Amino acid sequence: MGKNHQNLLNNLEELRKSAGLTQQDLSESAEVSRKSINAIENGIYVPSTVLALKIAKTLKCKVEDIFKLPK
Amino acid sequence: MTFYKRFLIVFICGIVQIFFAGYSALILFSFNIDWHINNHLFMFIPGILIFVSSGVLTASYYLGDKKANNILYDEYTAIRYYKIAAAGYALNGVGIFILFSIQDWANWNFQNANNMIYQIAAFAWLIFGVLLTIFSIGDYKEHKNG
Repeated sequence: MGKNHQNLLNNLEELRKSAGLTQQDLSESAEVSRKSINAIENGIYVPSTVLALKIAKTLKCKVEDIFKLPK
Repeated sequence: MTFYKRFLIVFICGIVQIFFAGYSALILFSFNIDWHINNHLFMFIPGILIFVSSGVLTASYYLGDKKANNILYDEYTAIRYYKIAAAGYALNGVGIFILFSIQDWANWNFQNANNMIYQIAAFAWLIFGVLLTIFSIGDYKEHKNG
């Protein structure tokens, strides 16, 4: 897990890199700004359901693989 | 529309609002200023600037390239905007409370009431300018480095 938001753990950076994508590539595919992707990876921002699903679709994984609730 | 163009538009609007609102506030709080701005310029320049800028940004939002707009007006930017606007509400609330507190209530008259209304307007206007400037700088910095 990368740097996390207090309400949401995320694994985005690792999954993105293993998919061979840059933040720019992922942002274009998910139709948001690169800074949004960066903010999510660094735990600054919790994405909406739609954005989380778009990211998961691009990375060809489930939303639960990227985001988890803290225990 | 690009991040840089939006930065320029919002930043210039913000700085101009700060200048005119600051001038207005200084006059209303009886600071002596050696130079004066004509009354018609006082409201016309910032007013027309906000009107034109809002028009350009609105047109770019509704008529601009969809792909570019997905990036420019994404949900993270919207949340940033809401946070700054919330800070603006708080600052205005505190400011209005202070402005109420410093009035000469013992000698209250219509002129004092009129002056207080202008003071509140100038203060809120100044906050608006500051928020625009903060938003524009933060938004552009995040785009470049964030």
